[in-house]
Amino acid sequence: MAQERSALLLHRQLGELMKNPVEGFSAGLIDDDDIYKWEVLIIGPPDTLFEGGFFKAHLYFPKDYPLKPPKMKFISDVWHPNIDKNGDVCISILHEPGDDKYGYEKANERWLPIHTVETILLSVISMLADPNDESPANVDAAKDWRENPAEFKKKVARCVRKSQEE
Amino acid sequence: MGNCLKSPTADDISLLRGGDSPVDGQDPTLLGPPPPYQESAPVYHPAPNISRPAHLLTEEEQIKIAQRIGLIQHLPCGEYDGSKKARECVICMGEFSIGDKLRYLPCMHIYHKDCIDDWLMRSFTCPSCMEPVDAALLTTFDGSN
Ligand SMILES: [Zn+2]
Ligand SMILES: [Zn+2]
Repeated sequence: MAQERSALLLHRQLGELMKNPVEGFSAGLIDDDDIYKWEVLIIGPPDTLFEGGFFKAHLYFPKDYPLKPPKMKFISDVWHPNIDKNGDVCISILHEPGDDKYGYEKANERWLPIHTVETILLSVISMLADPNDESPANVDAAKDWRENPAEFKKKVARCVRKSQEE
Repeated sequence: MGNCLKSPTADDISLLRGGDSPVDGQDPTLLGPPPPYQESAPVYHPAPNISRPAHLLTEEEQIKIAQRIGLIQHLPCGEYDGSKKARECVICMGEFSIGDKLRYLPCMHIYHKDCIDDWLMRSFTCPSCMEPVDAALLTTFDGSN
């Protein structure tokens, strides 16, 4: 039951994205037979250090999506405070809701069942443009970003170049 | 309008009975490795990141879940008859069709009953406007029901 529902919802989103592509990324399935595993290509947002890059990432949806968020992992190297060294994306909207008894003032920053591939990727694109170094997944990248912008820029430029060759 | 205040299901009753009634013969105090996941056994979410079958819940968690079930059952619901402005459930992105069971939240957002009830068990907030459902429930529905 839950599985049918999540598969139907993901098929709807895939169909919608095929019909009306969204600027900034393209999306498809890793394997045509598995609606739960998506491959996306994110275009480095213009006017940021990531401009010119094409970053490949995978999204893994749980069977009880949209009650639970997918996991997102960059396959391309991305040097960024909120992406750990394995490529796993760590942003608050991909975290399950906290105990709403005490934390609902921040509920809008956590996972909601109305998030779609589109809203998730738009959040990731804005994260690329605007890192959050409060709880970094890549401590070294956060340190570079804060203390050594030249070094950060150099490492990001290397990722952008590499992504163009992939 | 359908009547949503039906009597609790068997699952709900077992939750209300307290911590001393082991389900299917297992001793709930033995915290060994969790039993293999069974599709049919109800799994509850005492806190958003914790999923456990009913017989492994603490008494406090059981009470919390029973209260939550009670609150959800007090939210108004009905069947889609085509007269409402809302046409789509934003959780499943499906259009409402005549006869679909709907749930009306105090903030006036409308969802399929099945879609929103599962979410409310995890987080008691409206996914569209983030309005906490319980706060609104106390002011809007207390006394009028
Ligand atoms: Zn729905
Ligand atoms: Zn609402």
